Amino acid sequence: MVVLRRKEETYTVQAGRTLEEALRELGILPETVLAVKDGRIVPLSHRLAEGEELELVDVISGG
Amino acid sequence: MRCSVCGRAAVIKLRHANLRLCPEHLVTRVEKEVAGAIRRFRMFSPEERVLVAISGGKDSLALWHILAKLGYQADGLYIDLGIEEYSTRSRQVSEDFARGQGLTLHVLSLKEELGATLDELTRLARGKTCSLCGTVKRYLMNRAAWEGGYQALATGHNLDDEAATLLGNVLRWDEGYLTRQYPVLPGEGKLVRKVKPLVFLSEREMAAYCLITGIRYLYEDCPHAEGARSIVFKGVLNQLEDRYPATKISFLRQFLKVRNRFRPPEPVVLQDCPSCGMPTAADGLCRFCRLKERVSHGTPA
Repeated sequence: MVVLRRKEETYTVQAGRTLEEALRELGILPETVLAVKDGRIVPLSHRLAEGEELELVDVISGG
Repeated sequence: MRCSVCGRAAVIKLRHANLRLCPEHLVTRVEKEVAGAIRRFRMFSPEERVLVAISGGKDSLALWHILAKLGYQADGLYIDLGIEEYSTRSRQVSEDFARGQGLTLHVLSLKEELGATLDELTRLARGKTCSLCGTVKRYLMNRAAWEGGYQALATGHNLDDEAATLLGNVLRWDEGYLTRQYPVLPGEGKLVRKVKPLVFLSEREMAAYCLITGIRYLYEDCPHAEGARSIVFKGVLNQLEDRYPATKISFLRQFLKVRNRFRPPEPVVLQDCPSCGMPTAADGLCRFCRLKERVSHGTPA
């Protein structure tokens, strides 16, 4: 499994799909987040590997 | 995925610009876009002093960072609105950033300037928080820029902000707002020129810029922004963008081409507020001084 953390929420998705596919499955528009691992941006085309953990940074600010 | 510029591993795909970029070329693109917008719209020259409105968020801190890097004389202004822990955290982030970069940050406290925090003001004036916030921030930013001798006041409004604002103005066909929506609003008298150098850069690019360059920004929204119309409009535009890439940029760029077709409102005669001396369209006290008077009397509007 792969863990995606977004603020207080934690999602688990299956390894083997791309980050973009995983986000769409979760109903998250890829345009609205950046995925980060070890301080580096992970591209949407990245294929998720078993045991991987990524942080999702929301890019849309309000107000 | 390879960088469209250098062929190295790309980290971000910008569908609206048909680009895939590595960290280095994402940074280059953002800085070039800012420099290009400043030149194209004649926002300010290197000889002029710019005051950057700082919120502690990604856009304002990145803008300040870029202007300093490009060699502009840019100082920051943070307004402490007194929104519980949110203001404490955003002020801390802004002060840390300024200290780390060796930049000058001016700090104004709404409690000191008005006699009430934003939350207290909302209760007293019985107004909408975001509307009151806009009123006091616009006033304090302009006054600080004018009194500080700055020739321009820069804000971190980005492509997503501007497209969302445009959508709102179009849905109401508000000609007055449509004619005023532009990357530069010229100064007049004590009204300082207002500029938006990030106008053609998306939120995603700005967040990526901060992550790559190590800018630590406040990763939380104002608690009053929840459910704000601008966020709903951004959501709608992102749905469209996902389906039809470049929707936001073409919406804004095409608008800027036809904007002159809208009829500007009748010019308003401004006079100096008898209390603070800043320009106002009202007879008598300006809106800020009226709010201040209400706060001092503790009377509802």
